[in-house]
Amino acid sequence: MGILFTRMFSSLFGNSEARILVLGLDNAGKTTILYRLQMGEVVSTIPTIGFNVETVQYNNIKFQVWDLGGQTSIRPYWRCYFPNTQAVIYVVDSSDTDRILVAKEEFHAILELAPSSAGDVCWKKLEGKGRQEVYPLLPSQNADFSHLTYEQEEELKGAVVLIFANKQDLPGALDDAAVTEALELHKIKSRQWAIFKTCAIKGEGLFEGLDWLSNTLKSGGG
Amino acid sequence: MFSLFYGLYKYIFSKTEFHVLILGIDKAGKTTLLEKLKSLYTNVEGLPPDRIVPTVGLNIGRIEVPNSKLVFWDLGGQPGLRSIWEKYYEEAHAVVYVIDAACPSRFEDSKSALEKVLRHEDLQGAPLLILANKQDISDAVSADELAQYLDLKKLDERVYMFEAVSAFDGMGIKESVEWLLEVMERSKRTEMLRARAGAAGPASA
Repeated sequence: MGILFTRMFSSLFGNSEARILVLGLDNAGKTTILYRLQMGEVVSTIPTIGFNVETVQYNNIKFQVWDLGGQTSIRPYWRCYFPNTQAVIYVVDSSDTDRILVAKEEFHAILELAPSSAGDVCWKKLEGKGRQEVYPLLPSQNADFSHLTYEQEEELKGAVVLIFANKQDLPGALDDAAVTEALELHKIKSRQWAIFKTCAIKGEGLFEGLDWLSNTLKSGGG
Repeated sequence: MFSLFYGLYKYIFSKTEFHVLILGIDKAGKTTLLEKLKSLYTNVEGLPPDRIVPTVGLNIGRIEVPNSKLVFWDLGGQPGLRSIWEKYYEEAHAVVYVIDAACPSRFEDSKSALEKVLRHEDLQGAPLLILANKQDISDAVSADELAQYLDLKKLDERVYMFEAVSAFDGMGIKESVEWLLEVMERSKRTEMLRARAGAAGPASA
């Protein structure tokens, strides 16, 4: 009986949950975005080795936001976090035109599950429950993988994609249309996507993006 | 023997998948239309109109009807974003072009964007449905008036229709979908796309 009421309550005032990955090259602004969303403040960050994870409550959705390090050596590990992901936020430094091509390649590698240009790690995930909590983080950790099973599947199936064209305050930053072109977003035909111009340190554009995310996830997603 | 029956079963019951592009300038009501389609044809409740924000990307709506599946691609209509429309043309079976019939000041913009769409060779032979949207607003022009106003040349060889709809209250939506299904099922373009998919299939395998 209690369960019934709990279910009714949550369907009426529903707090759905969503697991979101924040990905992008190093120095794109992922960690700044995460803490801007979570605390509304600009924190000084250092390059992320591993990940930060925080919960952001917005529009009745509890976003579990994973900010994964973006350096070349860590990118192959992104895919370890793909299972059960409802959305990917891909952050681009719009002013870093030198590396926009790399950003494009990594982006499509994520969606197509192609090997990252930075190398490849096997699919490793824990059997059974709680698998998303424990993952190898760094090549140097030499974790014992013997208890892990290998699996390869379309883990990002149905996930929607939100692109943040970040650092709009910097001179020479590409606008949303130019980033769309550079990332070849039109190649995405089977999942929903949206792009927003953002400036993480001023907080511009971030919550517009979350609005889109929550609407899209509520209206059925992918 | 089993495979024979299975083949027959698949032949009879498999659903053709059609890709329909929803185009039009910003504020025409494309996403409202998409959400209305979801509400009418799926058990997902589409977003209410007041929660819809301008699209800057791609929204997708999948609906199923007795013999077919329809995938709607709703693309953002702001001037800077229109350049990506053509990237989706090649795979589209038909185009739905949405116009805000209650906003004559933007008819010219609508018309020139539509003419550009129609000139593109990747959309050759694609059936075109032009929607005079926002009929729930009292001063919206009718489908005929809109057709006169647009005065589109070079439509002769293309299968097209004007339809008065309201994506807000659902008027004309079902008729539109029925028309689309009917023309797509027997259009040359559908045959062409099917042949291309068939040719690509074995080669890539």
